[in-house]
Amino acid sequence: MSTQATTNDKPLIIDIRNIAKTYVMGEEEVRAVKDISIQIYKNDYVAIMGPSGSGKSTLMNILGCLDTPSKGDYFFKQDNVSDMDDDELAEIRNREIGFVFQTFNLLPRYSTLKNVELPLVYSGMSKDKRLEQAERALVNVGLGDRMDHKPNELSGGQRQRVAIARALVTEPSIILADEPTGNLDTKTGDEIMKLFEELWMKGNTIILVTHEPDIARHAHRIIKVRDGMIESDLINPNPVSAFDKKTFDIAINDSTVVLEQE
Amino acid sequence: MGNFLESMWMALDAVRSNKLRSGLTLLSIAIGVFAIIGAGTAVTSLESTVNGQLAMLGENTFQVRRTPAVIMSNAQWRKYNKRKTLSYDQAKTFQVRATMPQAIGFSEVENGMQIKANNLSTDPDVNVVGCNSAYLDCVNLAVDEGRSFNEQDDNLSRRVAIIGQDVAARIFPFGSPIGQEIMIKAGGTKQKGGRFVVVGVMKKRGSLLGAKLDNYVWVPMTIYSTAFESDPRKPVSITVKADSKVQLQQTIDETIGILRVIRNNKPGDENDFEIETNESMTQALAGFTGYLTSFGYASGFIALLAAGVGIMNIMLVSVKERTREIGVRKAIGARRTDILTQFVIEAITLCQLGGLAGIVLGAVVGLVASAALNFTLAIPWGSVIGSVVICVFMGVVFGSYPAWKAAKLDPVETLRYE
Repeated sequence: MSTQATTNDKPLIIDIRNIAKTYVMGEEEVRAVKDISIQIYKNDYVAIMGPSGSGKSTLMNILGCLDTPSKGDYFFKQDNVSDMDDDELAEIRNREIGFVFQTFNLLPRYSTLKNVELPLVYSGMSKDKRLEQAERALVNVGLGDRMDHKPNELSGGQRQRVAIARALVTEPSIILADEPTGNLDTKTGDEIMKLFEELWMKGNTIILVTHEPDIARHAHRIIKVRDGMIESDLINPNPVSAFDKKTFDIAINDSTVVLEQE
Repeated sequence: MGNFLESMWMALDAVRSNKLRSGLTLLSIAIGVFAIIGAGTAVTSLESTVNGQLAMLGENTFQVRRTPAVIMSNAQWRKYNKRKTLSYDQAKTFQVRATMPQAIGFSEVENGMQIKANNLSTDPDVNVVGCNSAYLDCVNLAVDEGRSFNEQDDNLSRRVAIIGQDVAARIFPFGSPIGQEIMIKAGGTKQKGGRFVVVGVMKKRGSLLGAKLDNYVWVPMTIYSTAFESDPRKPVSITVKADSKVQLQQTIDETIGILRVIRNNKPGDENDFEIETNESMTQALAGFTGYLTSFGYASGFIALLAAGVGIMNIMLVSVKERTREIGVRKAIGARRTDILTQFVIEAITLCQLGGLAGIVLGAVVGLVASAALNFTLAIPWGSVIGSVVICVFMGVVFGSYPAWKAAKLDPVETLRYE
């Protein structure tokens, strides 16, 4: 059990204490994460930055409960994730974490609605409730009219919105986005950043993993990782709002019709 | 996930997205199941047809023949074909010496005869049986109209005939054939036959193994020999009726003893003739159908085994191809059992689709064949249910390993997989 005293009045969601992750590759031991401690509170908007090889991906996998640390403790709310087995981790991922990937990772054979519904299938929800909730999630990301489309019938921005809807549909405690704009052009990327900002304003907790400073500066707190250690963990005094950017929206909910002013 | 239907839809979706590959796999299963169902249908139809009709001999009756009624192989055929003819003379000698039988019937058949009356004639495909009156009694042949043969017909070599239903319908479409004169002619160039008076019409008999049993004419044995210049070497069948079921075995023993003497069988040699009872014929047929069934099952089983290996291969490829998908599913909360069931159900669905195609194909072909051969139509429900069960079993057996491989994949690795 861990309820560390919080420095602010928000409840603690993620509490990582001195974790390390060591891989064995052939003869060699690779210490991807050496000693990292992070606390993330409800409604935080955090960016995790770092060059490739910094241990950023390993940290993200551990944060997302896709992997467990070799050393140290990871408390997700009250649960100690570090000693959970595969199926318990799957349940945590299903219930508490919404993933957004760089490459969207939608299932190509399924319709938009079916893709969004899938996490609820694994949580064992009834068909009617599932559909209702998936539809609502799609409407929330502005794709209420694209439910029957297959991913390949959508633009990149729309696909990422579907992925975000899928991440949101279980009402998770955190949204973990890994380079969410990496495969998108600048305009579409900005649209997605606006969506994240909206979600944050609605009270969601967002963790962005990125190597682009341009993306990271939207976050309110920036954690820099280097050589498996935290280099800096600072409040961003001047977060850039995606809505201040000089883009002119004809329709905010349809990323295919966005014109750049300049 | 406990959501079986959901998994099945997922599986059907996966099958649809790879039509050609799935189709080929399905085909191999369909062929295996087809072999099983086809053999099952044919055998069930054969049995349900033949067993009823084999009982034409009474329970205390047996037949003496040169060769068995059912011959299974060419090797057997060559062996039996060397046997000397069971001639009419030998039969007559047997009749004189035998003491046990209640009745002794003789019969001889000529194929491909043509029957004419007035201006109408049958095709030259009628079987003409020469027999004594005891024969008709022994094999339970009764007339529908008119009378059967009596001893006088035999002794006096009367030119009388009993005709089958098909023959009657063909040449006497109107009115009763009784008392009418018919002309029996050999189909070939040989001048055989002659004029006979119809004294009876046989009861309807139907067909057996495709042979029309109503396309027959019966004439007395004695006149048959002269009218058809019967080759004395031509085989005669002897039908023996024992006094009762109890005496059947003793009668058979006596018959064997007498015939061994008549046919000069040396002590220690086996009989050069066959004794057939209802039971022995049913057994011979059971041996034949059993042979057919096990052949069908064996070939089906081998085909299914090959198909199973194909299923496993396809599933392994499928797992490899969908590594990323598995990673995504795991990331959004699929447990190991969810992935495992998904792929096992997918394998079962593949097998079931193939099996269903095989069942339909096998049943249709089996039924068409039965219809063509005039068998009673019968669907082998046992084989159908068996096939469905086998297909589920195959899906589990051959799908489990690929599914287990999928389930234990590491989510981090799979998400990174290109």
